[in-house]
Amino acid sequence: MSADPRLARSRPQQQQPVAVPPPPPPPPPMEPQPIGMGMDGANDAPASSAAVPDNKYKLKFCTVCASNQNRSMEAHLQLAAAQLPTISFGTGSLVRLPGPTIHQPNVYNFNSTTYRAIHQELSSQNAQLYTQNGLLNMLGRNLTIKGYPERFQDWVPGRPRLDHAEDQGAPGTEAGVVDIIFTCEERCFDAVLEDLHNKGGKLNRPVHVFNVDIRDNHEEALVGGKAILDLALSLNEAAGNEREAYGQGGWDMGGGAARQGFDERVPDILAAWQERWPQMPALWSLAWF
Amino acid sequence: MNPALGQLDAARSLALGDGRYYGTIIPGVLPIIGPSASASLEVRRWGADFLAEAFASPAWGADEKQASALTVLATLKDYVEGVDDRSVVKSAIQAAASIYPLVYRYIISNPNDAQNWQLMLAIKSNILARMDAAPPGVRICCVKFLQQIILVQTPGVIDPRRPDPNDISLALVPRSHPLIPYVSLEAEGHGLLDRMLGILHGDHSDALLVTATLNSLGMLMQRRPIAVNKILASVFNFNPLKLANSPMTPKNKVIMKSIERTTRALLMNVMKRNPDGPNTGRIQQYLERMHRMRLDVFDESNRKRPAPVEPTDGLDQSKRQRLAANVPVAAPVVPPLPPGPVSFRQLFTLNPDGNTANFDVQAFKDPEQLLRILMPVLQSIDEARLGSAINAVRSRWVNLSKATPRPPSAPNTAGPVVDDEEEYEPDFEPEDAEQIVNRIDGGLSSNNFPDRIPDAPLAPYKLPEAPPLSEQEVQKHGDMTVRRAFGMLGAVDEKEKGKVTKGGFNRLAASDYGRDAWVTILARLATRANAGLDDPEEGIKDEHAVKRAKGNTNISEAVRDGLYQYIMNDWKKRIDVAISWLNEEWYNDTILSQSSHLAAKLNGTSTSAASSGLPKGNYQRTTLRLLDGILPYIEHTDKILLRFLSEIPALDHAILARMKKMADDPERIELAIMVLQYLYMFRPPVRSMVVDTLVDLWRDNDRAQASARKLLVRWRPEVLEQGGGGGGAAADVKSEGVSDKESANGALEVKAAS
Repeated sequence: MSADPRLARSRPQQQQPVAVPPPPPPPPPMEPQPIGMGMDGANDAPASSAAVPDNKYKLKFCTVCASNQNRSMEAHLQLAAAQLPTISFGTGSLVRLPGPTIHQPNVYNFNSTTYRAIHQELSSQNAQLYTQNGLLNMLGRNLTIKGYPERFQDWVPGRPRLDHAEDQGAPGTEAGVVDIIFTCEERCFDAVLEDLHNKGGKLNRPVHVFNVDIRDNHEEALVGGKAILDLALSLNEAAGNEREAYGQGGWDMGGGAARQGFDERVPDILAAWQERWPQMPALWSLAWF
Repeated sequence: MNPALGQLDAARSLALGDGRYYGTIIPGVLPIIGPSASASLEVRRWGADFLAEAFASPAWGADEKQASALTVLATLKDYVEGVDDRSVVKSAIQAAASIYPLVYRYIISNPNDAQNWQLMLAIKSNILARMDAAPPGVRICCVKFLQQIILVQTPGVIDPRRPDPNDISLALVPRSHPLIPYVSLEAEGHGLLDRMLGILHGDHSDALLVTATLNSLGMLMQRRPIAVNKILASVFNFNPLKLANSPMTPKNKVIMKSIERTTRALLMNVMKRNPDGPNTGRIQQYLERMHRMRLDVFDESNRKRPAPVEPTDGLDQSKRQRLAANVPVAAPVVPPLPPGPVSFRQLFTLNPDGNTANFDVQAFKDPEQLLRILMPVLQSIDEARLGSAINAVRSRWVNLSKATPRPPSAPNTAGPVVDDEEEYEPDFEPEDAEQIVNRIDGGLSSNNFPDRIPDAPLAPYKLPEAPPLSEQEVQKHGDMTVRRAFGMLGAVDEKEKGKVTKGGFNRLAASDYGRDAWVTILARLATRANAGLDDPEEGIKDEHAVKRAKGNTNISEAVRDGLYQYIMNDWKKRIDVAISWLNEEWYNDTILSQSSHLAAKLNGTSTSAASSGLPKGNYQRTTLRLLDGILPYIEHTDKILLRFLSEIPALDHAILARMKKMADDPERIELAIMVLQYLYMFRPPVRSMVVDTLVDLWRDNDRAQASARKLLVRWRPEVLEQGGGGGGAAADVKSEGVSDKESANGALEVKAAS
């Protein structure tokens, strides 16, 4: 395909890490795995608990990166594997994947091009190259998670997502809203806040937006996915506590941190998480759907 | 699991499948989840969530929502008043935020339904009452509810071309509505906006509330332009890094970064939506300032962490300081003063090891930059810490003055400065004394008060009066002022390149700040500033006396010099300036001569100059000067000379003689002839003068003879017939007269230029 001069600028930073490293490991195993980092014996309680059982309260999650291919999909997979309701998006104008050279990226439209179609096109183009840089591997993983990359700005929160029932992590997201958004770089965080301003908060529903800075390569995406899962489990536990603590008797039961509600504990949870994952600078904001 | 929940979930799935079912499902579920039913907490949670979801759903039309909204008011009221569960209350408030605009619109068109409006008001007042005391998780929902009230209770944009049926705003409310009086709605809307903005300036450790507020302001600014300025003003006063003074715990760090980023996203959104808006500049300034502050706050802490020499056991000075910051009562340890005489600097330096002590303020060359840094720093000073620092310095001072009671005359470190001050303002001694009394009253015992303190530079400082300027200085500063005016003119010039200026009769001179306006002002300053101020006895003749004019009031001459230089710097482009200046000169000369003529008549005396009535004062002098200045640069192709000579207000022999002189250059003969021909054709009053000049040219300049002859054949053939012989006596006389005048004017010019 012809090179788009507008894309030339963004390409070099993104492709470099993807092209250089050796073939990445096979798709991450589906079974829940122990969290490698941050195992200091005290803080990994939420992380080591694997899938959240269905009878527990569950927050609804959303992961966002630029192209809804690598980082957001890795996190989507890990959250879904922990039985958490999850959807995912990209904030870029187009889906951009590395091409044969830096100046010839592969560009696709959001919401219409399926992972399967991209996989087929790339494997017919240059199967060896795209196997070597891990793209086919990634696309193969993605097409087991959901049908096609979705663009955040085109998403209408609150519109039911019954047509996505086949996606991994779909149970719980039927109403088309989430409680938590994870973005994977600051640009996406800004784009999400900006887009939520534009959407105008018509639903009057609060949403916690987190940014977890993850570099765009397969290895970092894997680690970042674990970090996001760790944060998601911590948040989910706190939200569950709120439901239980005030269940019967009212707000005066319980004590200490448990007396605090979920929302106001978020900064503490994030700060504790940041201590465990110091290499991924985090941001957070309470925004509105 | 509750069996009822299963049914309810099935109903919900139905509604999710098609939003139109909400209308029939809600009446069905209300008896189960509503106030009459003794529903379990689970069911009520489900009910509150369901109502919030239903009334937020984009898949359900607003009109049907409005109809159903009235039926759920009782249930919502029960939820907010009667249920003591946080998640029920949160969802109920969210639902109320979605419903309030709907009920509001319903009431506008149904002004008699007081019952439903009372229900809504009950819910509203319950929510507003929670605003300040509820746990943060609930308060954010209250903020969103507040936003919806503000939205519908402020006037929207009324654009008849594009009426937005979905924009529910105060504009829809008739002034005479019985249930919702316009004025009180509007007042409440403004009041609630103030309350919402007040959150930004409250406690920042509650980042949840602050970011929730910031994120709800974007839509308000988008849809209510009337509130934009108020909101932006509030945001500009908002300091996202307010927590920088509290201890840098991981939580505070992430909160600060998050608040800052949220503010930025909000402002970027405002800017992107209206990139040419009037606020863009201020937003950019604010963002820049915030960026710098953020670097200040975070880079410092980043820099400190990896320093390898730093002891990590917590005994490090800088670390201790930070940790101590949140306990302002435990005053920081103040090291004792070094023995011996101390300087004021040492006296006031409480932390000699801190990097601020070694910071050289002079590193900032630009005072603006310093101001930008200083203001936030001053604002962020912790009052308690400042107080303890003042106390520390005060006790040092007291100790110091006790230890070494110095006689007033004894030289100390501050001596010279103080002496200087005394010299400067001997007149203000009494005021100083008063200050001192005040300060003594303020708490220090007079025993401890050392004698030198009265002179310490704490009293109000007034600049000493400047010595009177000498004449030379006056002249120098005057010249500088004039030069500066022309410098500005040059700057305006650059900007206005290519801009078409509007002419016409309706143009008012000097009515804007453009180049033409300044030229007019300067030209009039030169010509009229001191016109007529000369001794009237000497009459208009004085205008010739350049020397004298230069001697007493030389503003005019200074400005004239300036104008001359300005024009000469780029005379081709600025010929219009020259023309308008000369017009002003001529006009002023004419007016002066008329008035002096009149005065002469009244006095009964008559000087020759006055009676001649010819405007030959500054005009002729300056014209000749300019022409002489320009002529050396004129090339044979410069038709601009034609314009110049045809547009200046008066011509005389001396001016035309310059053409003759120019024709001495064989290259420019044609140009000179062309000028004369043009003037002959288009300026009939000067025809005879032109022909006289041409005759001179024909006589004196061999090389020009051929061209001159062609014209003379038509204009004055008799001269040609007479040839160069004695028959041309009359012409000779004339030419003599001209040359006389010329030399006289030449001499004048030398004087003027000197």
